[in-house]
Amino acid sequence: MALPLPPGLTPSEMAFLCEMELVTVIPRQRLEGLELLGGPTQPLNPPFPAPLPLWLALLLKRQRRANIRTPPWLRPDSLAAILEFETDTAKEAFSPPPNLPPPTTTSLHVDQTTAYLPATATTLELSPPFLQNSTTSAPPDALPYHWLELSQLLLAAAPDDFEDPDSVRRLLRDLREVRMAKLRKGIEVLDAGAGIKMNGVGGMEIAESRAFIGGVVDGLRYVPSMRSMELWGGGGGGSLCGTE
Amino acid sequence: MAIGPRLRGRPAHTPGPTFLSYTPNGRKLITVGLNNAMRIFETGSDAEPITIDDVQDAHTAIAAANGFFVVGSEDGTVCKYSLETNSLDGLLVRSTLPIRDIALSPDGIWAAVASDELVVKIVNTHDMERVMYLREQPKPAKHVSFDPSGSYIAVSCTDGVVYVYSLSSEEPELIKKVHGLVRALESDAEASSRVVWHPDGRAFAAPTATRDIQVMSKSDWERQRTFSSGHSREITALAWSLNGALLATAGADRNIVLWDTKTQTIIKRFDQNSVRATILDMQWHPTENLLSYTNNDGELYLHTDIVPPEHASLLEMSLQGAPLIHDPLKEISGNAGRMIASGLMRSGDISGKRFGTPDSLDEILGNDGNSESGLDFIEDDDGAGYVEEANGNGKRTSGHLGNGIAPPPKRPNYNNDWRSPIHMHESFQPGSTPWRGSRRYLCLNLTGFVWTVDQTTHHTITVEFYDQDRFRDFHFTDPFLYDKASLNEHGTLFSCPASVQHPCTIYYRPHETWTTRVDWRVELPAEEEATSIALSSSYVVATTSKGYVRVYSLFGVPLQIFRQKSSPAIACAAWRDYVLTIGNGPLKAGRRTCLQYSIENVKRDQTCQDCDTIPLVSNASLVNVFFSDSGDPCIYDTDGVLLVLQHWRTMGQAKWVPLLDTKQMARLQSGRKKELHWPVAVAREKFHCIILKGGETEPYFPRPLLSEFDFHVPVATLAPSTDDEEEAQVGTEVQRLEESFVRKELLLTLMTDLVHSTNATHAQTVELARAEVDVDKTLLQLIAAECREGEERGMKALEIVGLMKDRTGRMLEAASKIATRFQRDVLREKIDALAERRLVGLEEVEET
Repeated sequence: MALPLPPGLTPSEMAFLCEMELVTVIPRQRLEGLELLGGPTQPLNPPFPAPLPLWLALLLKRQRRANIRTPPWLRPDSLAAILEFETDTAKEAFSPPPNLPPPTTTSLHVDQTTAYLPATATTLELSPPFLQNSTTSAPPDALPYHWLELSQLLLAAAPDDFEDPDSVRRLLRDLREVRMAKLRKGIEVLDAGAGIKMNGVGGMEIAESRAFIGGVVDGLRYVPSMRSMELWGGGGGGSLCGTE
Repeated sequence: MAIGPRLRGRPAHTPGPTFLSYTPNGRKLITVGLNNAMRIFETGSDAEPITIDDVQDAHTAIAAANGFFVVGSEDGTVCKYSLETNSLDGLLVRSTLPIRDIALSPDGIWAAVASDELVVKIVNTHDMERVMYLREQPKPAKHVSFDPSGSYIAVSCTDGVVYVYSLSSEEPELIKKVHGLVRALESDAEASSRVVWHPDGRAFAAPTATRDIQVMSKSDWERQRTFSSGHSREITALAWSLNGALLATAGADRNIVLWDTKTQTIIKRFDQNSVRATILDMQWHPTENLLSYTNNDGELYLHTDIVPPEHASLLEMSLQGAPLIHDPLKEISGNAGRMIASGLMRSGDISGKRFGTPDSLDEILGNDGNSESGLDFIEDDDGAGYVEEANGNGKRTSGHLGNGIAPPPKRPNYNNDWRSPIHMHESFQPGSTPWRGSRRYLCLNLTGFVWTVDQTTHHTITVEFYDQDRFRDFHFTDPFLYDKASLNEHGTLFSCPASVQHPCTIYYRPHETWTTRVDWRVELPAEEEATSIALSSSYVVATTSKGYVRVYSLFGVPLQIFRQKSSPAIACAAWRDYVLTIGNGPLKAGRRTCLQYSIENVKRDQTCQDCDTIPLVSNASLVNVFFSDSGDPCIYDTDGVLLVLQHWRTMGQAKWVPLLDTKQMARLQSGRKKELHWPVAVAREKFHCIILKGGETEPYFPRPLLSEFDFHVPVATLAPSTDDEEEAQVGTEVQRLEESFVRKELLLTLMTDLVHSTNATHAQTVELARAEVDVDKTLLQLIAAECREGEERGMKALEIVGLMKDRTGRMLEAASKIATRFQRDVLREKIDALAERRLVGLEEVEET
């Protein structure tokens, strides 16, 4: 037996991945640019805001060397608007994720003079850690992929940077419950070969429900095969209850 | 005491809580108490009062108007009685629980009724079916009170919160919950949490938990002066005199205290010897030196000549202002926020309007169509202008004469003719805010912020920095009452106005030195005041009321003093060796002065710009002036436009170029957001400001976050609404690129000027070259956009090619490649020809 972990990512692994996200910090002291594996950071110069990876921002925040600007979607009014959309407008579906920026070319070192030309080479779709979905320039009306982890981390480490941390907590909890309920409801319609649309579901939500949904789907796949076995005249119909 | 024996209580009711109310004309006084009788006393007659018998007993509240009065009782009924027939006029409203307080609006039309029910009802006294409800309180209300204009009502709730509603709309609207002002009291407690509005309507007073009386202003809900340490037990009743000059309070310690509003000092105290029982209700007679009060033992006292003769003149004064800490009406501060033009301010009343003759017809009957003041008999309810609005001086305006052009004056206009005032720009200290409550910012910039707190006898000043590592925050007690400050990374500069003890002083405090601290003070000559101060990395500048500009070194050595050419001075700013001063120049149309600025290089003793105009649009005025981080003068005006001065190092070449119009920003285009931008700085090619929401005009505490915006030169409107979506897309793309070209070109010229006039570092030269290439790249994108548009745009594309700065030919080569790509062969040939001519240097000859 290899690793005793379930397939997919565990919640703690999701939280770890989330720390790659860029957030905006307002430094309280100077810091030269750092050459990190993920690329160089901007030199910090108070009071100019700068984007930093979340793990570095949290480190500086704990040392009281910086303040974190909460992304626009984590403000109480934006969260309330999203929650209203989830409960009233979007019925079954989830609120959509932020729009992707137009794809860029893969080759990073394009000839300076031809950069104006529309890309003809293979294009690259950016994915979460490289999208600025949690800086202050993020759209206020969409929850990004890492919304749950990021908000938990920020609320734990920097509650004083929020306008109203208590109402943010409450709204996040409401949002989480509404969306989990939708996920669970989606499972009811699951059948062999059927699917649920999971557009806009966050990473942590997937990680949390992966085991359960996976189990259900496996079980459903098992039922038809049991039926066929019964047709063949075999027994063991009761073992379904045993496995699930 | 002489008054003691003469003052005799009149047993009005059976022993128990008793309440009273004067009619507004002061003729009659009505008392109610535990028994079922109401007594009406005539002022000035010792005759036996008229008694009205009623079926209800245990009355708990009364309010009287000139023709009727309204009484509430413990069984929950509110009845209206006529004063003409002295009989019951009808039931006004019925509540399921005991009534606690009744207030009549100043016009007597509405009666607010507080009962033990959660809802406060406001009933029309003429038509009891018209009722407004105040529903926001979670607990029963204890007191209600109308403000003197009748458009606000304050509800003191038993949860210890004061709810202030606006009654100007159809449905009452909660505008403020005031926490922590009054105590949470039971609704039948003897102690009072009543809010009493000062007669000038700008503030109200309420008893606090510490047995003080706290004044709070209505405009910003800040705590103002307090009437403190007058009572040793809870306050049970309080009342302003009709002109607001005196405040009378009574407490459970059986003391009556008279306060002078202006100084908040006690002018007279009546102690337990003269007061027999706890006073529950008191009211001043509208005109005479007479305070009447009722106690919890069924007695009424008419206390004549209560104000001692030496202070009696206080009662005869006209309406006095409320005791605000920094009264905007009295204080002439250059950067005071403008008063909101609203009728509720009633500034006209404060400007000393005459009172009517005693016993005149208006006084007895109230205002009618023939009255001098007050409501006209035509009510202009649809704003169609049947009646002319009187202005602050009670005069009709000349608006009906059309176009605002006044008729020629009968006498020639002399210089100081008061009828045609000259609009001069007030001086201000860049980056400061006016007093609000007891606090203000003296300076707000990207280094940090300086703020001061008024502690009545002295101020305390705190300086905080954004960079917590390089600088250390400091805090000191300030007996000089500094009112201006300027902060940079080297030190902090303060100045204080002259007072009795000291002349106007300038104080510089460096942040760090390698010896002991060398802070210094300079006293200006007598009768000279600093109007604005500025601090650069090498000089200290002050403009003064005598029209001088004084320049000191950072160690206090006076270097220059000269008369400012355009004065009175408005503001000044400094950056390295450059000093920018702004003053009032000659008059322009509309009898406003135009603003003039001068820029001097102190070190080289050169004048860069001399008395050049600051172009402001007609009614705009200056909000802030500062140097950007690369040293270009910037101004921000009330129209929300940020302007930068271009080519200012060459005399006569300077011009103000808009960098950003904050009212046209994309975030405001939806029209849903209403926000103001308070400018802080221009740095790193961004505009740093504080976003103010909710109608605020100045930043306040806690310090709001800085926001930054990219420049956007107002070349075209941001989002033109075209039906054809694709067309609009291309259109905006071209517009965006054009704006980008203009903006980058502007920043390039600013940078070129800087690099050429200073000893530029290598990094700066490289940056300049990069910026040049950047402009050309924008042009290339613009060519591509034009080529995409169609063949007919070829001429425009060729013109754009001609704008390119690049002399190496690489950019032209790229442009010809673009033309090839879009198969515009004619254009390509022309570009190639242009490139060849440039290569051999023919182009320049042709241009000349």
